Amino acid sequence: MRIVVCIKQVPATDDAKIDPVTKRIVREGMKAVLNPFDLYAVEEGVRLKEEFGGTVVAVTMGPPSAEKALRECLSLGCDEAYLLSDRAYGGSDTWATSYALAKGIAKIGDADLVICGKQAVDGDTAQVGPGIAAHLDWQQCTYVSKVLSFDCNELVAERMNEAGSDRVALTLPAVLTVVKDINQPRVPSLRSVLASLEAEIPVWKPADIGADVDKIGLNPSPTRVVKTAPPPPRSGETLHISGDAAQAAAALAAKLTQLGFTEGK
Amino acid sequence: MILTNEIPKEAYRNIWILAEMNGEAISPVTHELLGAARGLAEARGADVVAVVLGSGFESTVEDLAAYGADSVIYADDKRLAAYNDELEANLLTRLIKAYRPEVFLGAATARGRALIPRLAVKTVSGLTADCTELTIDAETGELHQTRPAFGGNLMATIKTPNHRPQMATVRPRVMKALDPDYTRSLQSIVREEILPEETENIKRILETVREHQGAVNLGDAQIIVSGGRAMKGPEGFKMLQALADKLGAAVGASRPCIDAGWMPYAHQIGQTGQTVQTKLYIACGISGQIQHLVGMQGCDTIIAIDKNPNTPLMQMADVAVCGDVFEIVPELTKLL
Amino acid sequence: MQGQAGKRTFEVEIIPPKHASDKIPADLQLFADKYKRVMDSGFTVCITDNAMGLLAFQGHECIEYLGLPVKPEQLSIHLNTFHSKADLVKLLDDCNAMGVRNFLIISGDGSDRLPKLQPHEVEAEGTASVTSVELLAWIKKHYPQFKLGVAFNPYEPPEDEFEKMERKIAAGASFIVTQPIIEKNAIVDELLEKYPDVPVIIEAWMSKKLHLLSDAVGYTIPEDTPFDPLTTLEQLLEIYPQCGFYLSILGFKTQYGRVEELAGITKGGDAQ
Repeated sequence: MRIVVCIKQVPATDDAKIDPVTKRIVREGMKAVLNPFDLYAVEEGVRLKEEFGGTVVAVTMGPPSAEKALRECLSLGCDEAYLLSDRAYGGSDTWATSYALAKGIAKIGDADLVICGKQAVDGDTAQVGPGIAAHLDWQQCTYVSKVLSFDCNELVAERMNEAGSDRVALTLPAVLTVVKDINQPRVPSLRSVLASLEAEIPVWKPADIGADVDKIGLNPSPTRVVKTAPPPPRSGETLHISGDAAQAAAALAAKLTQLGFTEGK
Repeated sequence: MILTNEIPKEAYRNIWILAEMNGEAISPVTHELLGAARGLAEARGADVVAVVLGSGFESTVEDLAAYGADSVIYADDKRLAAYNDELEANLLTRLIKAYRPEVFLGAATARGRALIPRLAVKTVSGLTADCTELTIDAETGELHQTRPAFGGNLMATIKTPNHRPQMATVRPRVMKALDPDYTRSLQSIVREEILPEETENIKRILETVREHQGAVNLGDAQIIVSGGRAMKGPEGFKMLQALADKLGAAVGASRPCIDAGWMPYAHQIGQTGQTVQTKLYIACGISGQIQHLVGMQGCDTIIAIDKNPNTPLMQMADVAVCGDVFEIVPELTKLL
Repeated sequence: MQGQAGKRTFEVEIIPPKHASDKIPADLQLFADKYKRVMDSGFTVCITDNAMGLLAFQGHECIEYLGLPVKPEQLSIHLNTFHSKADLVKLLDDCNAMGVRNFLIISGDGSDRLPKLQPHEVEAEGTASVTSVELLAWIKKHYPQFKLGVAFNPYEPPEDEFEKMERKIAAGASFIVTQPIIEKNAIVDELLEKYPDVPVIIEAWMSKKLHLLSDAVGYTIPEDTPFDPLTTLEQLLEIYPQCGFYLSILGFKTQYGRVEELAGITKGGDAQ
């Protein structure tokens, strides 16, 4: 059994600093870390390997420094890691990113299962997992909270949605995206971290994975970011409500209705 | 496998929305999508087309018209009763090829966030997730999609210059539904069938479990009712849970409540807990140390209830209710 | 945790390398150097446990990997509630085998990355989350040979903090370490009065950066407070002659020599 885990390196939010004036997180100087949701993907891959045998391979697309996130995957129990890194990949949107990763997965070869985190915390799009499945024309299951069974041909998973959950059977190979409920990622030992620092991580350029350069990078990407701006500031106006409890509650209930929070529930 | 996008942009017209189903009913977010689509269609002099995939829902068609649809394309098939990404993506890919919509909007729900990325790859379309604002260039039909990124600390405006349709998802409660007008009627209703090849290589849904539990996952909640040290103990949080149940909200807590053993750690909001960005955040008896503010300052509307009007949270809140949480919260719960 | 008889002794905090570091081997070397120096001075080495919720290597695995000597009376390891049960048991067993005896049990700082102990895993009832009290009670029950201390935060509302201290002592705590103070503190005085038989170790803040202290205690100490760490330490030593002292963020290059002098260690004395 071969499991590929797709990961992303993202700016860390846990050492976030707050701008005293705007009260917003200051992005400058933030460290890069393994996308928190991807830890659950790695852990699930490693747990499945530990139960059913096989290998777990980590792959990412990113700058050369993203190698560090791959080393973390190795310290957590992945057996191999590959980095898709080249200027030609730069500026890829989720369409082009999922194309490149699909090509990387094909190059790794013989994958039975691909696991991704439910989304990356910087973009929050949740598009790359299903995108990989579409490029490979494999079945997909998103928001997976439990893998119920796994053999060479079929995987049964529980996936979550707003109204409850579904139990679905996927014909392998397939792509999963996993939510935090699925497991508790392990903390790697000092020795496994030190070992991961010595590991060799091959870097693959587009030609290495047979990626069509007309489908990767900024230009072929369907979407284009045309502007970024800080979010609109809070109005700064505070509505003050006081009085006895019944009056205050009534005023607050009226405000909630005005804001549309009391409908449809 | 992948379509090439060789058809000229001008060949695409109309604004499509994918109806969000809740069993056999249409969920309210569909009406919000129709409201957003109506504005875009009017700017472009185009029609709003509602696409409904499901099983046993025909009576809802008048609602779609009343909320802004000009036409409906639907498939009514028991294989569409449970949501099947591959089947729906296969079917929609064919419809998009056949009808060529200029814009395709869907709900940023568990279903939409799984299906539409698959569809966007298959149709070689640009997709922007979780848009909070959509405007369209009346001349070119270029859609400007604004979305929060980086946990709400940045707003990005995205467009799709060369690819059609332009796809976007919108979270529930972001767009405004129009007041329904039941005098509106549909220009057309088209029924589509699933083709046999569209059922090849699709997953099997073994069981669908509907459980109406409150959103425990703070990250996915739209509303959070959160308590601080002034809740005095686990009983205080039961009171907040009752309010949360009325609002369909999740319950959060500030760190001292976790350190005191009143609430599980999964509910902690702040620097060493979860960062949340909800439509509404109701802070009950939380003074608002910076470590807490970091975790919730991205919420759209912040309501604070506290005896002390001078706490940081009461100062930064959009609505500051000065009074005793143990009196106000039960009263409010009764009223909702 | 006794130093040389009759002299002031110190507990010196050492932070193990963080997982996220770009220079783990160098960090390990630095850890080893500090550890040996503190041991050689006859002071107690105190090793933090994922301080501020940032993933760091465990003290005992660093000691083991680096082959550092374990002197049970001169070593104290922090242990918080953010561990999986399996990791907790392994940690305690490994420490036991290595001869570690002293632990400071704290609730600790969480993060997404850290597992949180669940009440049933430490046989706790009637609590929604595991705090230092439940963890301490469980360790006391299963590892009675260990000497367990707890933290005291004079910046929290005193009523809550003293109520919690009652439960910590009832659970088996045998020493107390305060959060850092930078002057005579009425709440700490009250603590000393309430628990005359329990050793209280006062944490002295050795960094000049007061904003870091504010972050650590969750209470804003005005930035313009006049503050020199070594002068403050000397004052605190006089104000609290009966207490041990815990030094956090100690500057080994700039401050350590003076701290040895305060402990009565002569410059030549620590040469070998």
